[in-house]
Amino acid sequence: MASLTDVIFLLLIFFVLTSKLVKLSPFELPESDSKTVAPVSVVIEIGEDGQYKYNGEAKSIRGLEVAIRAQKKNLGNPDDFTITIAAYKEIPYERIVDVIQLAGRMRVRAILATQPIQES
Amino acid sequence: MGLKKRNKVSPQFNMASLTDMIFLLLIFFILNSAVVAPSSLNLKLPGTSRSTVKANSKTPDVRVNKSGRFYLDGKRITSFDLESRLAKMAGNSRDPMSLTISPEENTPIKHVAFIMNIAMKYEINAILAAED
Repeated sequence: MASLTDVIFLLLIFFVLTSKLVKLSPFELPESDSKTVAPVSVVIEIGEDGQYKYNGEAKSIRGLEVAIRAQKKNLGNPDDFTITIAAYKEIPYERIVDVIQLAGRMRVRAILATQPIQES
Repeated sequence: MGLKKRNKVSPQFNMASLTDMIFLLLIFFILNSAVVAPSSLNLKLPGTSRSTVKANSKTPDVRVNKSGRFYLDGKRITSFDLESRLAKMAGNSRDPMSLTISPEENTPIKHVAFIMNIAMKYEINAILAAED
């Protein structure tokens, strides 16, 4: 019995830690009914202050392009390369359009992260 | 006096109940970690999109202003009516339908995402009008 408890305890700790790490962004995302799961390999965050963030670092749109081009070279298959845009829901859409255009220039897919609609 | 001590606390420790509790927590966190992953709206970009969008002169135009008021082809419409109207249009047309989203400057992304969501639900091609 003690060994069973040990294993379960280990799994418990693992899931407690990962459930904290998985959280994509600390702010509210736009809402949709979509069930598609957003890939989290390349995430551009646009927080409440409107700053672009990539890997936790604030970047300009130029800086983003440089960083993402480098990332694209490192990853093998360019067809699977997807930029996930996690934007605070009150951000003016022009800020997102800039990232969409960046993705269009680089010929990669872009996806807009959303959260499930909250009934109120 | 012959008083007897009742309710003796047994010093035995029961492993089974501990395992039960840990197991419960484990299941809770497993489910939680699956739920936390965000969902997303797929954006079709010019140049990368492989879908053919038929240009149609009768593409409905959805405008939205800063405060979240929607206009379908210039007429004010509530968010609820917008969805039913677009659903009807998508149901009537045989070809894949398109619509243009023209947001006012500084419109919050949530209003744009609302229209994109309707487009996704009824398989409408939404085209986001943007200025350079």
